[in-house]
Amino acid sequence: MLGSARHVLVIEDDAETADQLVDCLKSSGYEVDLSLDGEDGLRRALAADYVVMTVDRMLPHIDGIEIIRRLREAGIVTPALILSALGEVDDRVRGLRAGGDDYLVKPFAFREMLARVDALARRSRTMVKETILRIGDLEVDLLARIARRRGREIELLPREFRLLAYLARNAGQAVSRTMLLQHVWDLHFDPTTNVIDVYVGRVRRKIDSGQDYPLIHTIRGIGFCLRAPE
Amino acid sequence: MLLNKTVRSSSTLKLAFIYVIAFCAAIFGLLGFVYWSTVTYLYEISDRAISAEGTLLTRAYEAGGRGGLVALINRRLTDGYFGDWVYLLVDRSFDYVAGNVKSWPASLPDREGWRTLAPTDWQSGEAKRPPLRVTYQVLPDGHHMLVGRDIKDLDRFGENVTIGLASAAVLFLILAAAAGISTSRRSVARIEAINATSQKIMRSGLGERIPLRGTGDEWDGLAENLNSMLDRIGELVETNRQVSDNVAHDLRTPLTRMRGRLERACNQQLDLSHYRSLVNDTISDLDEILTTFSSLLRISQIEARDRTAAFRDSDLSVIVREVVELFEPTAEEMSVRLQLSAGETVSVVGDRDLLFDAISNLVDNAIKHGGDHREVRIAVARCADGPVLSISDRGPGIPVEERNHVMRRFYRLERSRKRPGNGLGLSLVAAVANLHNARIVMADNSPGLRIELHFPIPQGAVSSIFDQEQRSWVIGVHRS
Repeated sequence: MLGSARHVLVIEDDAETADQLVDCLKSSGYEVDLSLDGEDGLRRALAADYVVMTVDRMLPHIDGIEIIRRLREAGIVTPALILSALGEVDDRVRGLRAGGDDYLVKPFAFREMLARVDALARRSRTMVKETILRIGDLEVDLLARIARRRGREIELLPREFRLLAYLARNAGQAVSRTMLLQHVWDLHFDPTTNVIDVYVGRVRRKIDSGQDYPLIHTIRGIGFCLRAPE
Repeated sequence: MLLNKTVRSSSTLKLAFIYVIAFCAAIFGLLGFVYWSTVTYLYEISDRAISAEGTLLTRAYEAGGRGGLVALINRRLTDGYFGDWVYLLVDRSFDYVAGNVKSWPASLPDREGWRTLAPTDWQSGEAKRPPLRVTYQVLPDGHHMLVGRDIKDLDRFGENVTIGLASAAVLFLILAAAAGISTSRRSVARIEAINATSQKIMRSGLGERIPLRGTGDEWDGLAENLNSMLDRIGELVETNRQVSDNVAHDLRTPLTRMRGRLERACNQQLDLSHYRSLVNDTISDLDEILTTFSSLLRISQIEARDRTAAFRDSDLSVIVREVVELFEPTAEEMSVRLQLSAGETVSVVGDRDLLFDAISNLVDNAIKHGGDHREVRIAVARCADGPVLSISDRGPGIPVEERNHVMRRFYRLERSRKRPGNGLGLSLVAAVANLHNARIVMADNSPGLRIELHFPIPQGAVSSIFDQEQRSWVIGVHRS
């Protein structure tokens, strides 16, 4: 389904937010369909094959989570990013996250939103699991849990390896601090200190120091990105 | 007036009356039974005596004929013991033969049987007056015989019993009603006091309290509870007011900054890179405000205690180890040594996210404010009264008089005003501790600060017994 590889569905009832979302996604090369209400969104999601959808939580007459539940009942597994003005991460949201969908609280930075859509789209594409990821001269062996650069093994703590593996799975794409906290530490809150930056800094030293080129990059205002030079 | 309107409509009074009526029904039933069985028994005894006397007379007749019978009757009439008895023997044509009455009552049938004679059955001028209980029979030679006794005393006894029982019942009814009314009036008075206080509070604010009577009864208990609830509400309202003030103050600064910046952008011709940096600065200021807002909302939400649904059995040691591992690079960068002692499993029932966040805040504070003796000790232990987490630094500590304030939202010590941070970290810790029913203790580490979180002994989903000999918790998990 190459045609739908960049096809995103946006379900959002606020016209201005919807416009901004569509703009932002289009400028990153996604093809975007927009639904301004839940019923229409549900119909479209059932009819077409999307790579990702973003769903507002408080739609008229329906909770976005309800839409996702109905889609899952109908066997549609398109990963969803819930955008919500409700700050609390309740049990339903936890369930959503466990199911591989994602949740972002309004107001959000569009870069953060994009990073999450990218991550979901990538997950949706790479259904076949690779066990060794290669980024430049870095090799991440997910089974043996070993990282090598130019063939030489890099000593990492288990958590550091999880972090590197998560960055490697999303290689080339920006990953936010909150996403890291969520996927590497399994914690669902926004870090208010720079502790994640410092932690990534240590992993970066282990990976990048004394190498030909850096792999872990800081993306201002979002987080980090693991990518090889062009 | 004995009963004012509130007492009359009081539910206690209604209840009291229902009880009185039920008790009265029971008492009347009981007394009625006592009356009935006593009186019946006495009449039965009397009937039996009359019957025996009748048999005796018949025997005398059988032994000595009419003469013998008359002799016995006459003997009886002279015997004072039989003074209240009545005897009559008449012949076939009902003419008087012997006895202490003269004529056969016309209403008695010509056979044999029992009868309680009323005055109407009796002719006037007789020596014996009804009420009389008699038995009568026809002797083999056609004579009619009547024997019986005066039952005036029995009747009077019955009447006395009736009067006694009835007055007891009436007295009981009056006492019960009085007790019901007085109880209702008492409770209504106390409820009125509570109502009056509530109305005053609604009119003029939370200053009022319900007066106690010092009796230590359940009403005082209720009043005390309501008063402490009012205290708690008062505290919350006060905190709320302070928070609103602080929010207004803390937001005004960045908002003013942003407004000035935008105004400048509007009025002055700037080149593109200036505009760009101006917009970027504004976005990061906005992000800061949003972060403050989310922290505030998060704290309020935790304080609203609606997050216990995510409570699970967790190992405090594991959580603390993870926090320390996360902060290891930060500590290293600031050349602080993190000393962790968390060996054994220490069970708490709680929300891992929140515990992690709260402990992160404490560790972060200890690293940042830990002073020149660059060492932070973190320990998790099982104590007799529950799990304890302690975090000690060697920094300047918190002055005793400020320790109560640092948990407040936006409160910052004078010396840390210039450092980054929003003064919400310890408020979050306090809210999380509260949610987990944990006690926060701030102590002097001389020098430095030691913050301890005392968790309750895990209960509910997990039951545990502290094994003194093993010095460990015996944990039993009950799940359905």
